[in-house]
Amino acid sequence: MIDYLVSVLTEGSIFAIMALGLNIIWGWSGDFDLAFYGYVALGAYMTLVLTIGPATSPTTYILGLTLPFPLAVAIAVVCSMLLALVVGAIALRHLRGIYFSIVTLGAVYVLYVFAGQFVPLFNGYNGLSGLFDPMGDVLGLDFSAYPFFYLGLCVAVLCVVLVLVTRLSGSRFGLALRSLREDERAAAAFGRNIYAMKLKAYVIGAGIGGLGGALFAGYLSAFNPSAWSPVETIVLYAAILVGGRGSNRGVILGVAVMVMGLQEATRYLPEIANQPSFAPAFRLILTGIVLVLFIRFRPQGLLPEHRMRDKDPADTGGTSVATGSAVAGATLDTGAA
Amino acid sequence: MHEALLTLGFGLVAAAILSLSALAFTLEYSVTNVANLSHGEILTVGAYCAYLVQQHGGGVILSGLAAAAGGGVLALAVHNGVVDRFVRKGIGGLPTFIATLGVSLVIQNVLVIIFGASNLGYAVPQGAPRTVGPFLWTDTEIQIMVSAVVITALLYVIIQHTRFGKSLRAVSQNRSLARVSGINANRVAALTWLLAGLIGGYAGFILAESVGTFSPYSGFSFFLITLTAAVAGGLGKAVGTLVGGIIVGIALEFFGGYLSASYNLAFAFAILSLVILVRPRGLFVGGRRSVFE
Repeated sequence: MIDYLVSVLTEGSIFAIMALGLNIIWGWSGDFDLAFYGYVALGAYMTLVLTIGPATSPTTYILGLTLPFPLAVAIAVVCSMLLALVVGAIALRHLRGIYFSIVTLGAVYVLYVFAGQFVPLFNGYNGLSGLFDPMGDVLGLDFSAYPFFYLGLCVAVLCVVLVLVTRLSGSRFGLALRSLREDERAAAAFGRNIYAMKLKAYVIGAGIGGLGGALFAGYLSAFNPSAWSPVETIVLYAAILVGGRGSNRGVILGVAVMVMGLQEATRYLPEIANQPSFAPAFRLILTGIVLVLFIRFRPQGLLPEHRMRDKDPADTGGTSVATGSAVAGATLDTGAA
Repeated sequence: MHEALLTLGFGLVAAAILSLSALAFTLEYSVTNVANLSHGEILTVGAYCAYLVQQHGGGVILSGLAAAAGGGVLALAVHNGVVDRFVRKGIGGLPTFIATLGVSLVIQNVLVIIFGASNLGYAVPQGAPRTVGPFLWTDTEIQIMVSAVVITALLYVIIQHTRFGKSLRAVSQNRSLARVSGINANRVAALTWLLAGLIGGYAGFILAESVGTFSPYSGFSFFLITLTAAVAGGLGKAVGTLVGGIIVGIALEFFGGYLSASYNLAFAFAILSLVILVRPRGLFVGGRRSVFE
């Protein structure tokens, strides 16, 4: 029982890290990025090829080094960020809305096809394995104590990420990102470089996603194309949407409900003969339904993002604010038209 | 030269299927302004409906009709149950797009639960390949192409020469203006989705016939190629989409035949990205306007 609890919590904190990364891209910057799970996967793959040592026939993969786990994770994160820089630089330049989503969906499918079909890269469809208990031998941990250590590690990383994104959220950069999510033209009129800011947010988000993927690789000890699919991103979106898009606390809550809670709720489903995939399929059906219902009835989520208010006491009536913004709005509209 | 013509022949079969699927997708888009991410599942459900009919001894024609009916019912359900409610509520294009991705997830996994995740195939034989001019086609492939041409021609007549087609065009150009002119836009949109579903379901059947196998996920992967054709032709533009489908279908077959079929999806997306970046409104639409509006 306690082992089970440890594994659920470990998985939950890893997914929370990924969701916090995606929240920067979708929650603040407002880009519906379907390539996100590609950065997670790249983080996982890179961590494996940097730690599991040279390939032995018949497996083939690039690199095959035996770096220490923390160093491998750091390099994996950088790789995810570099890939995001390339994809983002192309996709964010002119594209918004569904066109951006379609191009990112394309990017992740290209990665998926190459990871699965191009064997010399990451051993094709059989994938990589062999990362057992990273850092376990260095720290002298035995088989029974190790899961607790890894849970502690994941929670610690989650806390660091949470502090980081909370600071980022209140920073000028975080506020400016939200301003261009709300109205890109207005933000541009106030002198923001939209492309640079969106790209920066995209790369930071993907880096956090890669970090989550690296920890995921350590947890699973193996990774292959049947362990992930591009549609996996939708589970993260469901978690963010349920918790509260843009809100860090909300994202954590969303992961607790949609990833850990749903896993628990469907664990005791009866096993149906010849249907090993019943429980996962049922979980995805619930995820889809929850997603649709939340978009329709509660798009702000359970713990909505905290909205900034003008703190000037003279504006309490609201009329003066309205007049002021109406003037600014009118000027902008004429400029746009 | 001979080999190239053979590849062109296979490309025409692929183009026929792709054009039908892309036309259905573009019809859905034109009346609601929603890119329907669950479009692939209309094809998948069509393929499974045909499979059920064949299990009970139905022939090819009955299977095709069942596929179309299944796709039509599903498209109508998605429109009336989700898309129309979202559009009328004033929820924007992007959130509705996300919701259709949720719908797609639901349908895929319902199929997994009912039929299992593994590949299935039809029992009807393809027939031996025969030489037609410079091409080499099986009977099934000839049926696929002939039926695609007939359906496209029918669709053209419906859109251009019927009262319903006229209101469809009106709604797709300006939904509010169509409504104040006395057109019941919701009804027209629902009927258009039904029509698109009929075509899409049938496309799923001929896709499964031509590939040989299908699974709950095959519609979604074909949808990615459909998207390439529809966007290349111009989203919501029927004629452009048709041409886009033909070009992309043939191009993919040549790519697969001469390089590697495993990377077809990657190649399709290379085309798609290029088109979106260079001519976001489609290859055949005049004037370069930004999608950023």
